[in-house]
Amino acid sequence: MVNLELRRDRIVARWRDKKTEWVIEPRYWRNPTIGISLLVILPIFVYSYPHILTMFTTANLYAAIAIPLALQMLGTGRVNFGPQLYLGIGGYTAALLNLHFGWSPAMTLAATIAVCAVIALLLSPTTLIAKGLYFSLITLILPLTFLDVTYIWGDIFRGEVGLVGMSPLLTFDKVSWNYIAYYYLSLFLMLMYLLFCDRTVRSRIGISMAAVNENENVARMMGVRVDIYKVFFYVAPSILTGIVGWFIVHTFRTFAGVTYLPLDFMTKILIIVIVGGRAFLYGAIPGAYLISILEDSLRGLGPVNYFVFPLILIALIVFLPRGEGLWGLYKKRRPRDYFPKLHVRRE
Amino acid sequence: MSNILLQIIIYTVIWGSIYLLISLGFSLICGVLRIFHLGYGVVFVLAAYVTWFFMENMHLGLIPSIGLMILVQCAFALLVFYKGVFQRYLEEEEVLLTISILVFLAVAHLANYLYPVTAGVSIPSTIIDNVLSIGGVTIDYQMIIAAGVGILVTAIYVLWFMKTRIGLIIRAISQNLPAALLMGANVNRMYYLAMILSVIPPTICMIVIAPFWGVDPFMGMSLLMTAMLISILGGLGNLKGSIVASYLIGFIHASVSFIFVSRFMGLAALIVTLVVMIYRRGGIFAGETLW
Amino acid sequence: MLEITTVSKNFGGLAAVSDVSFSVHEGEVVGLIGPNGAGKTTMLNLICGIYTPDQGTIRFDGTDITGMPSHKICRLGISRTYQIPQPFESMTALAGVMVGVLNGKHRPNMSVPDAALEASYYLEFVGLFSKRDTLARDLNLYELRMLELARALATTPKLLLLDEVMAGLNPTEASHALDMIWSAQEQFSFTILWIEHVMKIIMNATQRVVVLQYGKKIAEGPPREVTSDPKIIEAYLGAKYAQH
Repeated sequence: MVNLELRRDRIVARWRDKKTEWVIEPRYWRNPTIGISLLVILPIFVYSYPHILTMFTTANLYAAIAIPLALQMLGTGRVNFGPQLYLGIGGYTAALLNLHFGWSPAMTLAATIAVCAVIALLLSPTTLIAKGLYFSLITLILPLTFLDVTYIWGDIFRGEVGLVGMSPLLTFDKVSWNYIAYYYLSLFLMLMYLLFCDRTVRSRIGISMAAVNENENVARMMGVRVDIYKVFFYVAPSILTGIVGWFIVHTFRTFAGVTYLPLDFMTKILIIVIVGGRAFLYGAIPGAYLISILEDSLRGLGPVNYFVFPLILIALIVFLPRGEGLWGLYKKRRPRDYFPKLHVRRE
Repeated sequence: MSNILLQIIIYTVIWGSIYLLISLGFSLICGVLRIFHLGYGVVFVLAAYVTWFFMENMHLGLIPSIGLMILVQCAFALLVFYKGVFQRYLEEEEVLLTISILVFLAVAHLANYLYPVTAGVSIPSTIIDNVLSIGGVTIDYQMIIAAGVGILVTAIYVLWFMKTRIGLIIRAISQNLPAALLMGANVNRMYYLAMILSVIPPTICMIVIAPFWGVDPFMGMSLLMTAMLISILGGLGNLKGSIVASYLIGFIHASVSFIFVSRFMGLAALIVTLVVMIYRRGGIFAGETLW
Repeated sequence: MLEITTVSKNFGGLAAVSDVSFSVHEGEVVGLIGPNGAGKTTMLNLICGIYTPDQGTIRFDGTDITGMPSHKICRLGISRTYQIPQPFESMTALAGVMVGVLNGKHRPNMSVPDAALEASYYLEFVGLFSKRDTLARDLNLYELRMLELARALATTPKLLLLDEVMAGLNPTEASHALDMIWSAQEQFSFTILWIEHVMKIIMNATQRVVVLQYGKKIAEGPPREVTSDPKIIEAYLGAKYAQH
């Protein structure tokens, strides 16, 4: 089916008549390997504090939402102000099917993917039709409208209170092992997303997508099928976000629209992408960890934290070097890499 | 049947006029400064809670509180939004929009923390505490007054933009900034003026509708959403478009409420907006200029 | 190869192009000239599928391309350069040309390193290989125009539409650019439709010119004939000069 060939410095994969080459450059692997190893051995230090493990799991999930969002913004060339819509759709699909029909997590996963795909395809014309700013506004409004829907049909969705008691993905006898298992699962999910997005950005699709982000009309004139790319880059990240919703449902076993759909949550995710720096994809991980730790530490303050948290986020944006963000603090720029600029307002 | 029709007509006019008040300031900023002011909801929150603060904690009367509150509003709009956010992040719009939302969230949560629901915040601005009956329909006098105020304020604004010199300058800036600069318009001062002008209608709106709409720290968000839908529908930044779209959305809300169930109002408005966007990109009066 | 038949395009009340017909045969170099505002760039945009004509048809190699989406037109073999260079600013020169290589034809078998190789070839052809890792926003005007040429060549065109390539170049750069276009045509053999204001180029380079004014075609023929026609002189310089 898929032929893999190992050459001296690259892996060549062939599928039917398509060929992909993955260049292996050892120096590019050193830092990611260190980073991933750190994340993998993390639980060893904190396994007796399930509270901290949950915080890290949440961080992984935040990153898992931010990474497809970054990919989507690069690929469609538009800023999406409502990534949490598919989180809500995926989560509710999984939760409702599990609670009312008793579907297993594997089946709800399939259902989540299907539902998100259908809805994303239905909404994908907005990337083509709406001008950049209108697209951003529509994406802003949609999750809030969905939140309204969960209130309207409150008997099904239990908008305010949320659904509880969904089946877990896995259970161990020792409760603390659950937390560790969920951490590793979320880490795996996030790393898979990172791998997928990284591969996409470095592939031929990624280069064409960068061109679309820069100047759509010129890209069209060079033969790039802009419309198909935009639909792909809208639908695929939406499905990935929906899967995160599924994960939340079966890990935390409660899901309330009011937690994930309103603006507060949205700003958290957007901040992660924005302060992550221009190399959006990779900066999302330190950004997510920062936000998650911040959020958790502030919780101790009591109700004031709802007021303090936005202020700290504003401070983050204002004081971190804008173009480079967190990632830039660490990585030297290589001239050959592409650092895209986000455009809100465009044709 | 005719009762329902009458209700729909009356509420279209009333809600449309109130929505006009809400979206006027938003359209103004959109059309003149060309910035989508996602922090616009702050104006409503400040209007309600700062007035309450002056009345309850400083024991001032209603009118002085309102006067002081307007000063606070203008200061907030100019210092926090214009100087702090817009001027700094004009080039990076996604940051600008995100910070605006964050400012709104901070202010709303602060209001929520200082004056939770139990504090019973309300603004006693009822002018006539009575009801009027037309046909079989009863309406609060306050609502009629709110609608009337809406129409009056809009008329004043439109006349001001059409007839005065400064209004002309602002319209020129909104249509073609470089040309206006070449003609010697003091653009910065006009932007300050536009910010202040944009703060006034929502403040007035909050004061008049507080008696029957209730006061809630997060109502800024839902009112902002209505303003946004009206702007998208009517054409970003276009006053004519806002007027038409306000009554259109008022009509949609009224019909859905009285013919079906009122819970679907927001959803219906959103669907109609999306449909219009398909056929007429840019809204009813596309062109992003003020008039 | 390219047949334009009674094409018209209106923008609101303005007739940008009205009732224009001409054709370009394979291997020719045809010039499109006319005063500013005559509708030359609009004509180019119509051929490229950016605008759809209100009337008339455009046929390329027998296929009707009127109103076809731009990417299909590119795949059929038409490329263009832009009057004001439109590079992909945050991408390096190499990456910009790679976009053309990957998307200009149906190439399922091409991987990124292969595309980089082919893009390097085009860059080297126009003389930009040493600048392949420079961001496009850091290139000067001449290099930008060469980059546009490389990008257009990378999509393997049969018909190349050039839009005022010489504008803004000093005489040395202009002659380099001209040489480059010639060697490109020799090597890759395509047809050229050339919008230009510099008369010297039109005289020496083209075999035939089409003249537009106010959106209408007012003359067509070999360059020397056309430019000595009093009607054309009047169009460019005014009635006063047409007398002699």
